Amino acid sequence: MHEYSLVQAMFDQIGAVIDAQRAVAVHRVRVRIGARAGVDPVLFRTAYDIYRVKTPCAAAPLDIVDAGATDELTLDQLELEVP
Amino acid sequence: MCESCGCGDPKVMPFEIHERILAGNDRVARHNREHFRDHDVVSVNLMGSPGAGKTAILEATARALGSKARLGVLAGDLATENDATRIRAAGILAESITTGSACHLDAEMVHRGLHQLPWRTLDYLFIENVGNLVCPAIYDLGQDVNVVALSVTEGEDKPLKYPTMFHKADLVLVTKADLLPHLPEVSLHVIQQNLTLVMPRPAMLVVSAKTGLGMDYWIRWLEGVGRPRSAPCTGSAGAGQLP
Repeated sequence: MHEYSLVQAMFDQIGAVIDAQRAVAVHRVRVRIGARAGVDPVLFRTAYDIYRVKTPCAAAPLDIVDAGATDELTLDQLELEVP
Repeated sequence: MCESCGCGDPKVMPFEIHERILAGNDRVARHNREHFRDHDVVSVNLMGSPGAGKTAILEATARALGSKARLGVLAGDLATENDATRIRAAGILAESITTGSACHLDAEMVHRGLHQLPWRTLDYLFIENVGNLVCPAIYDLGQDVNVVALSVTEGEDKPLKYPTMFHKADLVLVTKADLLPHLPEVSLHVIQQNLTLVMPRPAMLVVSAKTGLGMDYWIRWLEGVGRPRSAPCTGSAGAGQLP
């Protein structure tokens, strides 16, 4: 199930944004997944829920936006808590 | 401040990202691709189910092309070096990429694998992906072309069941054609029709690694990928061409 490795890659991206913005927590994560991305949104959410424990995203809900009949798979937006 | 989502809290701010989740993989894939083009190496990402005949195709390719071109293989598998061992026995340079639990190769694995092969001396580098019709399709490895092996015993509807994989394919090799006399229910025409529904530029060759059927078409297709190097060929064999 490649959704776990995709979520791991997303957390690397999120970590880089947190460092750049000196954020202390993530309050919401939004991704866009197209029907041709080769990604199952349900499995992606399951992987996210497992992975986010004890991370800055621990309390951040995941919003998955349907990107239609495309191969889009993007980290779209984060809500960050910055001091 | 809203208690449910934090909106209105001046310390909580939205940040637009709009970046592909596989952006990191894509960067390494671009790096691999630059390497291949700088050294005139044609790179082929060979995908397909476990048992589709990927390794047998590479062995047959060694027999058909090995005396005319320098070939090398990076063989991905969850465990064992069996495929690389078989391919080396056929006279091709080969190294394994053992992925452990990973169901696909990514660009970084290929990059590390290149350090094990004298790849700069090759004319063709085949990347035999992990046997799987789902996960490998979404990872760019830096290849020139994607080729999918689909054996005649897998079922005519596989292109419809796994559309992402076949959508990404530049060529589908319908393998184990020597078994067709024993499979009267299998229709090449139906496979071809199904590929036409999911491939942007349908291209299919029917081959048998065992008898050599169709291998000359496959070799010709590969040689087309190598010319010209600045414009990789996609589907030069033509839609649904059968030998």
